[in-house]
Amino acid sequence: MPGNPASLPGQNARRAEPLGSRLPPLLVAAQRVAATVAQGVHGRRRVGQGDSFWQYRPHLPGDSQSRIDWRASGKSDRAFVRETEWEAAQSVFLWRDNSASMAWRSGTAVPEKRERADLLLLALGALLLRGGERVRLLGGPPRLRGGRAALDGLADALADLPKSGGMPEAAPVPRYSSVVLIGDFLSPLDEIRAVVAGLAALPVAGHLLQVLDPAEALLPYTGRVRFRGMKQELDAVVPRVEGIRNGYAEALAEQQRGLSALCSTAGWSFGVHRTDHPPEAALLGLFIAMSPA
Amino acid sequence: MIFAAPWLLLALAALPLLWWLLRVTPPSPRLQSFPAIRLLAGLRADEHTASRTPWWLLALRLLAAGLVIIGLAGPVLDAAGALPGSGPLLLVIDDGWAAAADWTARMQAAGSVLDRAERTGRTAALLTTARTEADQAPQLSPAMAVPDLRTRLAALRPKAWAPDRVAATAALKGASAGAVAYVSDGASAAGDTAFGQALAALGPTTQMQPDPLPVRLARPPRAEAGRLVARVSALPQPAERPLAVLAQTGDGRTLARVDAVIPAGATAAEVPIPLPPELRNQLARLVLDGGAGAGSVVLLDERWRRRPVGLLAAQEGADTPLIGPLFYVRRALALTSELREGNLAALLSRELSVLVLADLPLEGEDAAALERWVEAGGLLVRFAGPRMAEASSDPSWHDPLLPVRLLAGDRQLGGALSWSQPAALARFPAASPFTGLDIPEEVLVTRQVLAEPSAQLAERSWALLADGTPLVTAAPRGAGRVVLFHVTANADWSNLPLSGLFVDMLRRLVDLSAGVAGAPEDTVLAPAEALDGFGVLGPPPPAARGLTAADLVTPVVSPRHPPGTYGPESGRRALNLGAALPELTAAAPVPGAALAPISGMARERALGPGLLAVAVGLLALDLLLSLWLRGLLRLRAATVSMLLLVAMPAWAEDVPALATRLAYVVTGDAQVDGVSRAGLLGLSAYVNRRTAASLADPSAIVPGQDDLSFYPLLYWPVTANATLSPTAITALNDYTSRGGIILIDTRDGGSGAGFAPGAEAALRRVAQGLAVPPLTPLSSDHVLARSFYLLQEFPGRFAGDTVWVQRDQDRSNDSVSPVIIGGHDWAAAWAVDGAGRNPYATIPGGTRQRTLAYRFGVNLVMYALTGNYKGDQVHVPAILERLGQ
Repeated sequence: MPGNPASLPGQNARRAEPLGSRLPPLLVAAQRVAATVAQGVHGRRRVGQGDSFWQYRPHLPGDSQSRIDWRASGKSDRAFVRETEWEAAQSVFLWRDNSASMAWRSGTAVPEKRERADLLLLALGALLLRGGERVRLLGGPPRLRGGRAALDGLADALADLPKSGGMPEAAPVPRYSSVVLIGDFLSPLDEIRAVVAGLAALPVAGHLLQVLDPAEALLPYTGRVRFRGMKQELDAVVPRVEGIRNGYAEALAEQQRGLSALCSTAGWSFGVHRTDHPPEAALLGLFIAMSPA
Repeated sequence: MIFAAPWLLLALAALPLLWWLLRVTPPSPRLQSFPAIRLLAGLRADEHTASRTPWWLLALRLLAAGLVIIGLAGPVLDAAGALPGSGPLLLVIDDGWAAAADWTARMQAAGSVLDRAERTGRTAALLTTARTEADQAPQLSPAMAVPDLRTRLAALRPKAWAPDRVAATAALKGASAGAVAYVSDGASAAGDTAFGQALAALGPTTQMQPDPLPVRLARPPRAEAGRLVARVSALPQPAERPLAVLAQTGDGRTLARVDAVIPAGATAAEVPIPLPPELRNQLARLVLDGGAGAGSVVLLDERWRRRPVGLLAAQEGADTPLIGPLFYVRRALALTSELREGNLAALLSRELSVLVLADLPLEGEDAAALERWVEAGGLLVRFAGPRMAEASSDPSWHDPLLPVRLLAGDRQLGGALSWSQPAALARFPAASPFTGLDIPEEVLVTRQVLAEPSAQLAERSWALLADGTPLVTAAPRGAGRVVLFHVTANADWSNLPLSGLFVDMLRRLVDLSAGVAGAPEDTVLAPAEALDGFGVLGPPPPAARGLTAADLVTPVVSPRHPPGTYGPESGRRALNLGAALPELTAAAPVPGAALAPISGMARERALGPGLLAVAVGLLALDLLLSLWLRGLLRLRAATVSMLLLVAMPAWAEDVPALATRLAYVVTGDAQVDGVSRAGLLGLSAYVNRRTAASLADPSAIVPGQDDLSFYPLLYWPVTANATLSPTAITALNDYTSRGGIILIDTRDGGSGAGFAPGAEAALRRVAQGLAVPPLTPLSSDHVLARSFYLLQEFPGRFAGDTVWVQRDQDRSNDSVSPVIIGGHDWAAAWAVDGAGRNPYATIPGGTRQRTLAYRFGVNLVMYALTGNYKGDQVHVPAILERLGQ
């Protein structure tokens, strides 16, 4: 698999250095995660792009003479036209929350949420590209790309992603394509529902993966703490964090139930991933959800 | 301990209030960024307990507050008790020469007395007992507030003359005081008793003086053959005291330092300073080490230096090379003395130290004039010869200026018609000034005049022949001396004038003589430079007046005639305090006075600032802790940075393996080790400046204990008591067998012969165990002579001795000589003191010699670092020649 940033086409010198330092390990990790998942899912057969033979059919009036397969025609008196399998590659739109709250981690033992989301997104992208799908980053350059070289372009686009809000903005997503949204989805449910419903109405199949830090899941703090949000929210002073831990767990579960409900309404799948858990499990879940039943 | 502002301590009562306030105010919450803050909104704790400041933080803050209060209240430690009596305090301070040695302690003691007076709000008056620089008698200041008096006290300086207690007693007339504090110097002066009674009559007296009294006085030295004897007076003490005399030149370089001890109970000590005449003539003063003050300095003038020598011979042509009777004398003395010639009247018309008469029988007028001159202190050196032998044959002849009576005629030893052999010299008698000179075996006497046997002959003989007949005789005559060589001054009668012994003998004789300072008795000599109270030469004070040479015979030191130098540039005369003062005795204490030692008068120490500083430190700690409680301080990062800060100095430690450095062998003699260290420091700096090599500060090593493998070069000054343990021998042999180089320095070679007695024997002793290879003199075609600079000679502080290196080339160690042995005292030549100067003069001297010494050091370092790399240069001519073919 191409993982060498020096081979990237259209790479300018300014970006080369930070990319070179950041992307290869990420790509390698993504490939490694994807490889373990690919081995776990068998039986998926996809036709190669325009290479596979499909059938011969008799030459009909109106067919161009150049389409006649002379080798097959030579065996009999009739002229045959060779037809290849119709390619039906799916377009998958990937999106990763690039808001400030993603650039956070509770300690040095776990990666930042954004880092984990990148890893998952690239690993999924690698799997999809390996399967022949076309992949595009929502909010990235507006061109669907296929082939293995597209993974580098994907990583490239991911690094250049502009700051965004908590949900994807309206993008020209074609009908019957797939959307994978990865983020922390901590914003109000109504905002999320509006976006999901809008996409589902196209219709577009979708998958939601909530990436959470263990501290966000467990609220491990004690004593008197002034909490400060990452997106200009007001500070919240909690006199005794132990006292609200159960209430917080309830609120988080409520948010996740709401997310799950609005996903199932739209026919989408919903998953939760904690950054202290291995990424393979989440990737496998996503991949299975995307595989045709 | 007392408090300056005790009422401030009332604020301590407010501490419980502070405690309560701190307790009810919760600490600031920790700050925590958290993305899921929206979910926290509206959550209420099921139990709500007030946050409490932790008890230890509370205690810390209370402690800091308490320290601030106590610190502001002004606690004072070591506050002495109140002064006796009431009313104004009279502070009397001896500011004569004897107070200079511990002047700071005296000022502290006076300051502490003033502290005590100030606390009780008393006024104070000041009386100093020495006359001022403007020659004013001591005056009692009016009683004034203590701060005003402090400025007067701060302006006080010790004077270079003795206190005038008679005038001080007069100044006390009509004074009144509540209490008297007397900071006395302890040395007696005229009018002591009356002064003490006057003080005791004024009120309760406290007398403060150091115990024991450190008063020392340097007296003018005595010149002897080959050395200068410094004399020191001191007040008697029950314990012996160490003492060091520095012999310094006019520009402050120390040419010699001699340690001595004043025995217990003694009042005087004599310290001989051995110095070659070349160096002795450079001396400008003798200084007692460690004791500031005019009494610790003796200025030397021409009397200790210039030795004019008159030469007189009977016949014409006395200077004829090789045969003239004065030729050899002139050659022997020309370098060290000022030689004068002329007829006797002309010679005696000027000051003269020594007069050399070569074979000149004396009679009549001349004899009388010479006799007067000798009795006034002159040294007359006479040589025998054919004329004297002839004159002595005349039974009526009587020469008054001969040390012994002579037998008629002369005596022939050896020759064609004689059975006897030319006689060699016997060892010099113990009382002779020539003792210690080496006698060359080839010196033989063939003719001599003989002394008439007498009871005094033995003690008057300074040199004898092997058969016991005297060769040199001497006798005192008045203040002077008459010396007779029983042979001629040329090589006719003996080959003594051809030998180096002759030079040494004549120089010792000149050293014996008294110096002169040439100025007529009645000329007024203007003051040129004067010593201040601390013994520093400077411009003379305004009241200084000139004095005549006659005044210097019985000198009086006063503000009008401060100690210092007088007269024109060409003929400076020194006026020394030590020459003017009578025997030192301790002054009787003031009757009825309470005695207090000066050192016991510890200055009061205010604890306030210290306590406030601690409080600030605690508050800073409180700030850190508060930040940590709020989560703003990353504990681990802080700890790591603190540890780094603490560990920093440990990294700066000398690790021998991390840098190239020279090393010297510790001898145990602090003086020698100091010179070694300073020398290697100076050499390292020179090498770093001049070459690409980079040397760190040198190390001191003890062979057998320290690992030697890091050092390319060891410098080892061998002292007389040097010994080597078996482990040290093993270590050094191991070191040299693996390419190490040891530079062994006996520090007594060439011009420095005799500077380190016993070093050669010590070298012979310690070298027995060492694997020293066969040696050869270091020549200019050795690699060592061209490894960086091209050198022809290898001087250090001394020059002229041979340096020895390995004879055979040992390919296994890059042909590097494992030992280099010499006696040039290189470290002293390389040495650099803290101010960047070279503290040790080179002998015979000159910038060139020091430069060459440094160059030898650079070559040595290069040799040690690069081995025989430059050895190829020796072959460059041969290689070029071969290339040419």
